[in-house]
Formats: sequence, C-alpha cells, structure tokens
Amino acid sequence: MSESEKLLVVKDLATTFATAGGLVPAVGGVSFDLERNETLGIVGESGSGKTVLSRTIMGLQPRANVTVTGSARVNGFEVVGASEKEKRQIWGTEVAMVFQDPMTSLNPVMRIGKQIDEALRVRMGMNRAAARARAIELLELVGIPSPAQRYDAYPGQLSGGMRQRVVIATALACSPKLLMADEPTTGLDVTIQAQILNLLDELKDRLKMSVILVTHDLGVVATRTSRIVVMYAGRIVETGSTREVFYHHRMPYTRALLESSPKVSNHPHTRLATIPGRPPNLLKLAQGCSFAPRCAYATDRCHQERPELQPAAEPGHSFACWNPLPTTRGVAAP
Amino acid sequence: MTDTRQPLLRVQDLTVTFGHHHHAVSAVAGVSFEIYEGETLGLVGESGCGKSTTGKALMRIVEPSSGTIELGGVDITEQNGRALRNARTHMQMIFQDPISSLNPRRRVKDIVAEPLDCWKKVRGPERDAMISDLLSKVGIDPAVYGNRYARQFSGGQCQRISIARSLAMRPKLLICDEMVSALDVSVQAQILNLLEDLKAEYGLTLLFIAHDLAVVKNVSDRVAVMYLGKICEIGPADALYEAPAHPYTKFLLGAALEADPDSPMHSQVLEGEPPSPMNPPSGCRFRTRCPNATERCAAEEPQPREVAPGHQVACHFPLSITRK
Amino acid sequence: MSNVANEFSLLEETLLIEKPEKTEPLGILFWICVGWIGVNVLAAILANVLPMKNPLFEDYNAINVGPGLHHLFGTDDLGRDIFSRVVFGSRVSIAVGVGAMVIGFGVGAPLGMLAAYKRGRFDTVLTTFMYVLLAFPAIIATIAVLSFWTPRALLKIIVVIGLASVPLVYRVIRTATLNVATKDYIIAAKVQGATDRRILIKELLPNIAPIGVSFLLIGIATVITLEGALAFLGLSVNPPTPSWGNMINEARTVLAQNPWLVIFPSLALCLFLLCLNFIGDRLRTHFDVTEVKL
Repeated sequence: MSESEKLLVVKDLATTFATAGGLVPAVGGVSFDLERNETLGIVGESGSGKTVLSRTIMGLQPRANVTVTGSARVNGFEVVGASEKEKRQIWGTEVAMVFQDPMTSLNPVMRIGKQIDEALRVRMGMNRAAARARAIELLELVGIPSPAQRYDAYPGQLSGGMRQRVVIATALACSPKLLMADEPTTGLDVTIQAQILNLLDELKDRLKMSVILVTHDLGVVATRTSRIVVMYAGRIVETGSTREVFYHHRMPYTRALLESSPKVSNHPHTRLATIPGRPPNLLKLAQGCSFAPRCAYATDRCHQERPELQPAAEPGHSFACWNPLPTTRGVAAP
Repeated sequence: MTDTRQPLLRVQDLTVTFGHHHHAVSAVAGVSFEIYEGETLGLVGESGCGKSTTGKALMRIVEPSSGTIELGGVDITEQNGRALRNARTHMQMIFQDPISSLNPRRRVKDIVAEPLDCWKKVRGPERDAMISDLLSKVGIDPAVYGNRYARQFSGGQCQRISIARSLAMRPKLLICDEMVSALDVSVQAQILNLLEDLKAEYGLTLLFIAHDLAVVKNVSDRVAVMYLGKICEIGPADALYEAPAHPYTKFLLGAALEADPDSPMHSQVLEGEPPSPMNPPSGCRFRTRCPNATERCAAEEPQPREVAPGHQVACHFPLSITRK
Repeated sequence: MSNVANEFSLLEETLLIEKPEKTEPLGILFWICVGWIGVNVLAAILANVLPMKNPLFEDYNAINVGPGLHHLFGTDDLGRDIFSRVVFGSRVSIAVGVGAMVIGFGVGAPLGMLAAYKRGRFDTVLTTFMYVLLAFPAIIATIAVLSFWTPRALLKIIVVIGLASVPLVYRVIRTATLNVATKDYIIAAKVQGATDRRILIKELLPNIAPIGVSFLLIGIATVITLEGALAFLGLSVNPPTPSWGNMINEARTVLAQNPWLVIFPSLALCLFLLCLNFIGDRLRTHFDVTEVKL
C-alpha cells in the first residue's frame, strides 16, 4: 500500500517543552503509520510521551513554549505547522479524540444532547431538527438506553460509563476517519471497561474508521489491537503486530513490562518480575539508550550510543536495542 | 483447614449508612468475614460496592451503624477516646493516593516517626535508629532522603514511605486500600513484592482492597467479592478464580483484561450498570443484571452457604463447581 | 472541540519531571519590600528616641514651608514638621493594621480551623452565624459604632475593626482548612493515634500557615486603607495626633496651595500598602507546593 493511501503517516515527530528546568523532549522523534480501518495501540508508562504524542498528532499544542518538528499527516493533511484555523478543518471530520476523564471533557452545565448538536450544527451546517435527530441517533449508536430522554440529561446525571459513551458520541458526530482514544477506560470499572472497549471495536468496523488506543494497560491492547507501539522516554522502543510484540518481543523493556504486570492466571504470592528504578527524568536523559540504566542487559555501548529502530524477523516488527533478547523464532540475532 | 487457625479479625453484620431517613444510603449492608492470622484476604468489587468503606469502617474512620468488629477478641466498635486510638495502632491503613497520604510540609523522617511520637514509645537515638531501619526496609535510604520533604517524591516512593509509617507501631493487621492502583506497572510490581517481603518479615495479616482482579489474585490467600454493599462470594483465591460459584464473580472475571492476545475475548459482557445503593433491589442485589434470576431471587435474599470447604456463596442458584 | 482547552493542563501532569528540591529564591524585589516595611516599622517604634522634631510643635516662624534641608518634607499651615508627622502617623496606621488583624486572626483563625476540622453541627452553626455577620455591611457597622463610641481612642478603633474582620478571616481559614482536612494524611495521622490537638498543630497548621500569613499581610494593608478612610471621615484618632489618614484629610482643603501636605503621607501610605501586598502575594506563590513549577 503506498504511503498516500495510509490514513496516518508520522515521521520524526518530536515535541519539546521549554521549561524553567530546561528542554523536555516529551516526544523525541517518532515515526509510524496507520492503515485505514486498523486499531493501533500506543503503550507506555507515565512519562513515556504517549499522551503528548497523541495530542501532537491531533495538533493540540497547549502552550507557546512548545516546539514541534517532523511531520504528521492525517489523511494527507499536514498537522505540524498548520494554523488553528486550518486544523479546525480536520478536527471532528478527519480525526477526533476521546479523553480519559469523561467528567472534564463534558461541559457539566450543558445538556448532553446540546453538546453533540453543537458540532453538528457548526461543522455540518445542520438545522436544529436534523441535528437533534442525528444526536439521538448517535446516542443510540453508542448504546445509551432511551436516547431521546437522555438527550436532555446533564452529564452529572449519568454514570461514568454512560458519560464516556456520550464523549464517544460527541467524537463521532462528524464521522471522523481516525478516533484517538487516550486512556478511554482508565478509571472505569472492569465490567464497564469491557463494555466500552467492545463498543469501540464495534464502531470501528461499523463506521469504517481507524482507532488509536493510547494506554498504560497492556491488557487493554492485548486483544483489541492489530499492531502496537511501545514507548519509553518519548521514543518508540518496539513496534509490530500485537501477537509479535507479545510473544516474540526483542526489546528487554517490553519483556519487563509484560512480566511485571500481574496476571489472573498467576497463583497467589507469585513473585513478580520488576524493573529496578523508575521511568527516567526527561530533563536528564542519558545520551545512550534511555532504558539502559534500568536494563539488565545493558553494556557500555548502550550507555554511549542510542539504538535506532531496526527490523526484526517478521515484517513490520522492529525494535530499538543493541543487545536484543534472543529471538524465539529461530532467526539469529543481529 | 482454616478453621484450626485463630481469626485475628472477626467482622459480623457490619453496616455503614450515610445520610438520614429517606436519603440514607447503605454503603455497606451487612458484611461478615474473618481474617486469620498471617493470611491475606483480598476484597474485590467495582466502584461503589462498599469495599473501601468496609476498610475505613474497620479502622472506624467512618462510623459503622451496626455490627461488631473484633480484633484479637476485643470489639473495637465499643471503644472510644484513648482506647480507640490505642486499638487503631494494632491496625494500620495504606491509602490509594500516595501523594495525598503524606503531609507535603513534613520531612520523611518525621512522617515515619509520627506514630512513635504520638505514643512517645521511644525517644532520642533509639527512635532515630528505628526510623532509619524502617526506611531502609522499604528501600528508601534514610541518610539521603530522610530529611527531604514528602512533596519531592514520586508516587512509588511515597507509597514506600507510607508503608514504613504504617509499620512503625508494629501493627498486626494492615489494610491496603487500592494501594497500587495509582502506580505504573513496573512500580506496582516493586511495591507488591515489597509488601510480600514485609508481610513475611513482620508477620502481618493483610486485608487487600482493590478493583484489579489480577493484582488481588497475586497477593491473596482468600478472596471476597463485593457487590452493592454485600459480599456475594468468598473463598480460596485459586478455587474462586478457577470456578466462581456466583454469576457476578464469573462476569467480573470474564471482563478482566489479561495482557495476553490469546486470552478469550469478552464473549459474555455484563450488560448495564449497578443499581443505585440508595434504592437497592429486593432479594438478591444482583438479580437485576443476572441472567439466571428467577422470582425467588426477587422475593428472598440469598444467605451465604458453603459450596466447597471454605468457599461460601450468597446465591440461590450457584454455578456448579466443576474443577478442571 | 470546545472540550479541548481544559485538557491542556493534563499535559503538564503527564510529563515526568523531578520535583525541585529547593524552591526558587524569593527575588530581590521581595527583599526590598521587606526592607521597606522593616524601616517603617522600626521608625514607628523608635520615633520617640529618633532625632526628630516634635510632630505637635507648632513653629510659627516656618508655616507652609516647602521641602528643604531644615524641614525634609516641609511644614503645614501650623508650622508642624511633615516628616516627623508622617513617621509618627505611621504609628497609628501600623498599630491599627496589626492590632486589628491580631484580633481578627486570634478569634477567626482558630474558629475557622476547628469548624473545618470538626465539621458537623458545630461547623454548621458557627458558619451560619459568621455568614450572617458577613452579610451585614462591615464598613457601615464600623462607622456607626465609631460615631457613637466617643471619645475615640486608638484601642477602640482597633477593637472595632478587628471584630469586624473576624468573619472574613474565619471564612478564609475555614476554606483553606477544608481543603487540607479531607486529605488522606489527616486520616493517616488519626489512625496512627494522633490526638485532635496534635493533628491541628502538626498536620493542619503548617499547611494553612502560608495562606494565613499572606492573607494576614493583605489584611493589614486593607485595614490601613480602612483606617485612612475612617480618618478621612473624621472617625479615626482625634487631631492633633497624626495618622496618615487624617493628615491627608486635613490637607485636602489646602491641596492647591501646599501639595506636599497630601503627597508625602499619601506616598508613605501607598508604598507601605504596595510592599505589604507584594510580600503577601509572593509568599503565597512561594509556599504553594501544589503549583506546577514548569
């Protein structure tokens, strides 16, 4: 598939914050792409830059002292360097975002139906009646029972799960081709989490859109994505098909992350593998591999020189490591 | 079996009601369980099920409306003033939010020493040595970090300091309320391992409250599942996870997200949301969402009954237990 | 996309930046302000022993003299030295400001802390009572009381303004305490066996003190302005005792002929208030540990 047909192409994207303490490379040069009708997972711990990356792709730059370089093309539209006015052309119609906290991303003093209406009337030029009909349709689409009555409800009258459904409906109002979901289920209960993830899956197929799931939870991406990107300290350290990354990962960080998450199948008092230390301070990033200080396999080279992404055996799978784990596929390590 | 051991904590018919008259909400509606010496009891459930309130009621941070809480044979619901403060030192609690658990304007050393200073158990060099020892035990270097303020630490470190503080009075029972849910995966594993180590070293008994089923399974000997203010199932961790007897437990486990692409997808997702605790359903509280519910479930509240040794379920139609 | 704006702040939280071990310095301007306040307070205290002219001495040989070597700020229409009157006048202003706030904080702060910590009926009753007082226009009440409570002495003015400020102080301290009292570390202290007294002093007070101190400074400034306004209405200390307020009041009739009479006390008042407000504000941000320092 040629690059122009891809829905999202990100090349060397870097987001740097200028702070009182110095420059913070929140995203330090990231490249990946996304096919149409695909679900991609972006996984990382706090400080990995996953949230900043998703917002940079959206073109949301919070403050004046942020520098963005590289390129992010959403359906052919270059987000980096675009003006607010230009970006407004793609917000909602090409790309929309679902935020983590449904309480703060909905206006608490506005009826939920009106919040969906707003986008429809302003962006799609619908009249009042048509917008209302469409909003109720959207509420029904995201599985809100008796949508016509709920149209007049305020966000505070809905439960967390219902609010997140409303947020999704708002995001879908102008039929975006890419839905960016930033920790969409964090803070929701287990059973509600499953409902929302199933809903996103279903909507993706029904509306023929692509979804990017940004999360810290490997459980969220395991069964919901076709490919995943693992981030650490603002960079991609491993990427590939979900199964490949889970079962044939080469980067020690990916393995450590997988092994340190508790599993339901573990017996009580199972000792968990841990990663020593904590995620790095972005103000004091070492010149070599950012994970080297916590890595059991680190050598001098890891501390000196930063590894770039290199292809693994399976097409599409690559990792950034000088001393990768032995492949489980019987291919010699480079 | 567990019966031969001595229960350290015996909770009977614990009820916690907030508000008055027709605004009253029973966050905890008659909960009974025991925790045996040296074991870890996991308490799981979704938000609003009353698991955190149960933990707080045990410490009497919130006042129980009725029921008894016996710690080592002494009913602490009848104690007040100094006796209550004294009883509380046998139990300690670790909270969910690591940052807000520590006073940002106090030094780490003073925070950990607070319980000792309250009771004036030890003074001077002996006190300092004890604090240094506690901090080293949780992996915080007392020489380097002891004099820093709590606000300078990350979530994981704050939780370590909280643990050190809770151990200062050598409590028998430690109540962990969602203590790792605000932490990153890699830090979470460190804290869980630390907790296991300290449990062995200090001979602790734990009540581990969490919403994360995987985390609970990893630390608990027995697990209790709460729904809408009541315990619906309690049993040995392995048995309960392998063969849940209550339909709700089964759904809860089915919804758990396993970090494994080959884990079964959520074929059976529990529909709807829990009813409001202000107006709980009659009979069995789960019946409004239960696929197996009958008229009997609406009419009659199921009482806990034993389905296997040490495995109790409050359901009229428990799922048959077939061990693989 | 109207929801986007409030998400911006989230970004800052997601950046893992080691928290600074030392807070940034207060800055030179802060210390200049502190110095100025210090000089004023010292001068007010030591006014009697300083080599200055008697502020009440009427020198008929030097009436309405402009600023010069002999009379630094000039003299008024009775030949009194403006410089020494400004210095002596600061005594009244500072005494009223500090005294009233001592009463306001002495009564309002402990009540506010207790109410927010204890909650329940005690809090409800007390807060309702304070809000009733707040609803009553304090300035009019002050004027009314001072008009009838004669002869007006410094102490009476302090007591009246101090009592009038109690509900304000109460409200600020109670709100500040409420924010802290719900934190887990307060519960943690409780379950470790700390007594209420210990929690109030060791856990709550250090967290409220910065807000209290900055509000105290701004409160002093407000009271000094109020004293000025009362003096302007002729309700402050009786002449010939100087205060910044009544100096400005007395001089307004001769403003065109002798502007020095207004300019110097006004300048003293303005500088003093400016410094107090600046110090208060700077301290508040300095001690605000929750503020993101990026």
